[in-house]
Amino acid sequence: MNIHPMLEPFGRRPGEIFDRAAAFHLLSRAAFGGTPEEVAVFADLGAEKAVERLLAFPDQSAEEQAADDTPDLSGIDDLPRTFGEQRRALAGMTPDDRKAFQQKIQKANRELLMATGDWWLGRMDGGKFPLQEKLALFWHGHFTTSAKDERMALLIWRQNELLRKFAAGDFKQFVKRIGRDPAMLDYLNNNDNRKAHPNENYARELMELFTLGIGNYTETDVKESARAFTGWAHEGDEFTFRKFQHDFGRKTILGRTGDFDGDDVVEMIVRQRACAEFICRKLYAFFVTEEPDGILVRNLATMLRENDFNLRPVIGALLCSRAFFRPEVVGGRIKSPVELVVGTARLLGMRPPGVKRIMAALNQMGQTPFMPPNVKGWPVGRDWINSATLLARYNTGVTLAGLVDVDRIIPDAPADAMVDGLLERMIGRAIDPAKRAMLVSAMAGDSSKPARRRLAQWIAAMPDYQLG
Amino acid sequence: MNLSTRRMFLRRGLALLAAAPTVPSFLDQTLMAMTLAMPSRTAPTTGKDGRILVVVQLAGGNDGLNMVAPWADDAYHRSRPRIAVGAKEALRIDDHVGLHPNLSALKGLYDDGRMAIVQGVGYPNPNRSHFRSGDIWESAQPENERPTSGWIGRYFDNNCPGADPMVGLTIGDTLPLAMRGERVTPLNFDRPESFRYRGPDAGMFRRLNGIDEGGAIATGGGATNGATGGSAGGAANDAAGGDGKVNGATNGRGAGGTSARVNADGAAGGSTALAAGGNLDFLHRTAMDAQVGSDRILGAVGAFRPSGNYPRGSFGDGLKTVAALIAAGMPTRVYYVTLGGFDTHADERGRHDGLMKQLDDGLGAFWTDLRAQKNDDRVMLMTFSEFGRRVEQNASGGTDHGAAAPMLILGGTQKGLVGKHPSLTDLDHGDLKFGIDFRTVYGKATGEWLG
Repeated sequence: MNIHPMLEPFGRRPGEIFDRAAAFHLLSRAAFGGTPEEVAVFADLGAEKAVERLLAFPDQSAEEQAADDTPDLSGIDDLPRTFGEQRRALAGMTPDDRKAFQQKIQKANRELLMATGDWWLGRMDGGKFPLQEKLALFWHGHFTTSAKDERMALLIWRQNELLRKFAAGDFKQFVKRIGRDPAMLDYLNNNDNRKAHPNENYARELMELFTLGIGNYTETDVKESARAFTGWAHEGDEFTFRKFQHDFGRKTILGRTGDFDGDDVVEMIVRQRACAEFICRKLYAFFVTEEPDGILVRNLATMLRENDFNLRPVIGALLCSRAFFRPEVVGGRIKSPVELVVGTARLLGMRPPGVKRIMAALNQMGQTPFMPPNVKGWPVGRDWINSATLLARYNTGVTLAGLVDVDRIIPDAPADAMVDGLLERMIGRAIDPAKRAMLVSAMAGDSSKPARRRLAQWIAAMPDYQLG
Repeated sequence: MNLSTRRMFLRRGLALLAAAPTVPSFLDQTLMAMTLAMPSRTAPTTGKDGRILVVVQLAGGNDGLNMVAPWADDAYHRSRPRIAVGAKEALRIDDHVGLHPNLSALKGLYDDGRMAIVQGVGYPNPNRSHFRSGDIWESAQPENERPTSGWIGRYFDNNCPGADPMVGLTIGDTLPLAMRGERVTPLNFDRPESFRYRGPDAGMFRRLNGIDEGGAIATGGGATNGATGGSAGGAANDAAGGDGKVNGATNGRGAGGTSARVNADGAAGGSTALAAGGNLDFLHRTAMDAQVGSDRILGAVGAFRPSGNYPRGSFGDGLKTVAALIAAGMPTRVYYVTLGGFDTHADERGRHDGLMKQLDDGLGAFWTDLRAQKNDDRVMLMTFSEFGRRVEQNASGGTDHGAAAPMLILGGTQKGLVGKHPSLTDLDHGDLKFGIDFRTVYGKATGEWLG
């Protein structure tokens, strides 16, 4: 294929220099921010090697990478894991005991959900493969599943691991596995999708939100696909195929007729031109700009098809493309609340706060992990911002920045050096000189610890800090 | 107060701009963007005498059949043997329907001629997805699969262009589609006490966000002139790390060159959000709107002493805030409050009864306040939900997603029962058929009430 000039790697043409601002930009988008030391290391690599290093993670879940790398699951050790087990456990109980036991299960699930959130934020912040976690966050918003409708936190953790394993893997295989994922089967009611009474929820969202986008399939395609997914269910955290509830009959889907099952549907979907474009558009909106460029999206889609839906080369090309480093792209994107929270902790050299502690703030800002607002998933760009969320973002940033280890991160120095040093660390690109001057004059004559702390808080409450 | 603070700020700010040619550029851009967006027509003001609409969303799909129960209909009791509102419980409206037993305050308002019940409201080909049907109700554009504006937002667009963002106020962390305009973006906040900047030195915060005319323009003007006029490039380089190379490459060399190539290569560039400063200006504007709103809202709420006894929880708190803001004469034309939890697939009588009580306590207290303020004649309140529920109870003592349902309207010009109660035997896939299109009700709210 002909690669569009804007998708060629940045840094090969005269004048294109992968400097610290560019490395800062890459680490903001493709990771959760880089400390000055990391930025310096990446800047020395050049764009292509830097992206290669970010993408050098194994196509494995965390547990596959290291067997003890899991959230703390001890709270659910002695609790039932399937509805069958739960039914049996409840069988001999008095109504009061039953209620108490159910409350215990609910509480344990809430705790595990928080623990899973903490574990994930910890991986985003300090894990070896931040791009894998960034992609898991992207796919979490894409293959939306909310824990609000979920009885078992265990399933949410398992799904999170699936998102990690396939983060940059084979998209076709990924979609097939998502269709068998217990949390998804629950969330979109495919457990209730039976031959006698098909439930269209999963089939519809598969086409509308996961692969093709509205307008690229018909209502008949949805109805017929729902039949192909009948009998796909789960028992506890295991997928199960209930063959007596599966409709083995002939279906006509996307112009083809046969006795299709769910995997066949996925194969037919990816053959549609719209599919690769739909995915590439979303990746572009997530990593580059909320208003994707049609030509570049189509070019990436061709690349995805030519790589047989292997995501890694496409993500790699996107992240080191000249389009990605365009000046109007650098610092032009509104951070998601999770990026804001994890990024602030990283940039200021702290551990991210526990999910439980910042749950209220995450809710106010509109992004609580495992609880997307609806099946459409997380927004991008301006949709994160309204008057309430913006003030909540400022207040969250200010609170986190107030926890900074002042002497380590903002050593005492002349006012302009302190301001410049901290702006480089937190914003990493030029800001309006008038704002910088305000900060310098506010710091003049006072380099006390409280004043230096305040400086970090002011920067966290600047609109410029919302972008990255 | 006829002029909003924002408009006052604009006037003053622009006057200062004219006087100070070296105003910081980020302020300049924000102000210019706002000015350009502002048409000549002035926004209608509300203050102490204009009419107000309060919209109450019952989120999750309210069971209209148990809210306004056809107690005399055998089919009702046959379909819902476990969960129907009994003939003896119902607060009788007439010899066919009655209100849920927990709606005693609303029954009082109905008897006083202050409430209308619009029966069987819905739309053709009802959708039973929360999201889709919610979008249809909020956008009032059933044919639009991906609506970007709502029926109230478009009212603002057409009737209050360039208005103060306080023209609409939503209580909640998300701005509902219904309130979004294509041009007007009204304010939303969850709790007034958290709707403010809580960091150190609010003055500095306001100046850095371009909110405060006093700092950045008047006093800051002198201080920043040097930096802006004299050594912008140098200062920018310093800011980004002091080695000069950081900025140079991205903003100067690589950038300029790359940019030019984009268009030469034929990719469609030049989108608005991508335009330099697009999102930064947007953030400045939102911060300014939020902060100006926050000051006024906190002032109004702090001074308020309610007469009504509001239920605990976010719904009661939200209505109390709205009562405070109406009392303070805000320029707000539409308020939006949500009561959630109506997706009663199980344990209907436990959960729905509780919600009816919250609704009744909240609206009762709210109307008591409006009466005490003598504002009840200029406020109309309407409830809506994305759908009603299935006529027949399900196996869990609950109900599944349905279609048509009643809307309650307090104040305004209508009273009594409006429309016919839908038949419980002539159904569409087990759901009630609508008799009144919801857009007719909206039309009355915007066209006749708000005008």
